[in-house]
Amino acid sequence: MIATIALGCFVLAGACAAARVGLGPTLADRIAALDVALISLMGGIVAHAADTGSTDYLIVTVVIAIVGFLATMAASTFITAHERDERS
Amino acid sequence: MSIIASILLLAGGVVAVLAGVGLLKFSTAYARFHAAGKASPVAFVLAALGAAFEVGPAGAAVLLLASVALVLTLPIAVHLLFRAVHRTTDGDHLVIDELSPHDRR
Repeated sequence: MIATIALGCFVLAGACAAARVGLGPTLADRIAALDVALISLMGGIVAHAADTGSTDYLIVTVVIAIVGFLATMAASTFITAHERDERS
Repeated sequence: MSIIASILLLAGGVVAVLAGVGLLKFSTAYARFHAAGKASPVAFVLAALGAAFEVGPAGAAVLLLASVALVLTLPIAVHLLFRAVHRTTDGDHLVIDELSPHDRR
């Protein structure tokens, strides 16, 4: 029951992040919102693990954390490089 | 589920909702990055602490690994986003701008 409520909270946070992905206005806003959506997904996996007691999906949270970091880093580098190309 | 685990899981969920609402309601990109980069790792660490009581030692070790990976990497990622926004927009609305004198491109 409690784990279901926590899962609902994480889903709500992911929905807010998805709304920000749609609203923008800048590309960096969308990327930060996707980061929050990924962390909400990680929290949902953790809530599910606490509910059922199974550890099958927990390793996915580690993968999401690392892949999310790499994606954000690549995207921010892209934003900076793209702007520099447009100015020159 | 134990009382402590329930409280920590609920606290993590509430902080996650606060992060989402902050991301949705704040007016400038910098303020939105604050909500995204500070509240959401706290939410995950709280939920992971709560779940660690329920999944046994092996699961708790994986949760610790995930929490450490998130807490180490997310500030760097958000700082890179800050810097990208700082470089690509004019900083006229900033009251204090401490990055410009130190930012060698």
